[in-house]
Amino acid sequence: MQHLQSEGPAAMTFDEASMERSKSFMKALLELKNLRPQLYSAAEYCEKSYLHNEQKQMVLDNLKDYAVRALVNAVDHLGTVAYKLTDLFEQQTVDASSVELKISCLNQHLQTCQAYTDKEGLKQQQLFTVIPRHHKHYVLPKLDTVNKKSQSNGQIRREAGQKDVQAKPFPLGTSASKTLSWHLASNSKATPEGDLYTSTTSVRDSTSSATASGVFYLPDEVATSSMPPSAARIEPSNRAADSGVALHALGITRRDAAENAKSLSQYRSFDNVGRREISRPPVRSKSMLSALFTKHKSAKIKLGHPA
Amino acid sequence: MARAGGITNAVNVGIAVQADWENREFISNISLNVRRLFEFLIKFEATTKSKLASLNEKLDTLERRLELIEAQVSSASHNPPAFS
Repeated sequence: MQHLQSEGPAAMTFDEASMERSKSFMKALLELKNLRPQLYSAAEYCEKSYLHNEQKQMVLDNLKDYAVRALVNAVDHLGTVAYKLTDLFEQQTVDASSVELKISCLNQHLQTCQAYTDKEGLKQQQLFTVIPRHHKHYVLPKLDTVNKKSQSNGQIRREAGQKDVQAKPFPLGTSASKTLSWHLASNSKATPEGDLYTSTTSVRDSTSSATASGVFYLPDEVATSSMPPSAARIEPSNRAADSGVALHALGITRRDAAENAKSLSQYRSFDNVGRREISRPPVRSKSMLSALFTKHKSAKIKLGHPA
Repeated sequence: MARAGGITNAVNVGIAVQADWENREFISNISLNVRRLFEFLIKFEATTKSKLASLNEKLDTLERRLELIEAQVSSASHNPPAFS
């Protein structure tokens, strides 16, 4: 608005120029408005002079001249008014366009701020969101039917009088799947836990008929001294008819811990033979599971064990 | 003498008629120009009306947009935590 001031003190500002334009338009309009009574007064004078004067031709000639001039004057005034009005209208249009441009800029600024605010808000919300992550042993399917049967068999075995052997029964149930899957998941590390697990499978193959219960009992001495703690958690996939049978199958006696160790070593050596065969547990975990369960079912059928 | 007077009379009539015709022509010219001026004024009024209407509509739109921006800015100023 004040950009013209920078050109010099004599230069008019935008506001002053617009004021001048509007003033000249109003002036022209007033002059056009005043032209009407002038034409009326001139027409009355010519009429009177033509009536009262004797030289009517001269009056007529003067009248013709005056009419032409008056017409030209009127056209001139009208043209001036039209030109000034058009100029004023164009100026107003330019002002409106500049205002529209400024409003568009403001709108764009506001939209940018809004977009930034929304983005920041989303960012803050994303930081606070907690994405749940599940481990493998929560994701794998449960083994409910098998676990229930094995649990019931374990209870029956306890009732049969196994007081001498203070075994650590591993309760099968909801946590069975976890540990089994945990073992399956950790089998890839080739730890002694996995070796013992594989040893159970090898032993199982040899003594499939003897095993029929879902609880795998081990004496405490053996469990604490010779075997690693994770081995005590080994879950047999087949059932044992009797804990003594299971112990006997594994070569573990109640009294001699060394013999138990030896048997375990034999067991391990025995396992080492078959170790090479079973060396890729994570890949075959599911197949192992299915194999174990099918064998368990076959053993059950053979023994005629009640479910 | 009478013939001369008659001839003079005829000439005067002729002159009068010619003058009359000139006057009529002059009047017709004037009236024609006035009509042209009138038509120009009508056209000028129509165009000026349409231009003013469009300018008015444009100004209304600008006014509404400005009101919207004003409302948005006022709401933003009333909720400073949103921008913190």
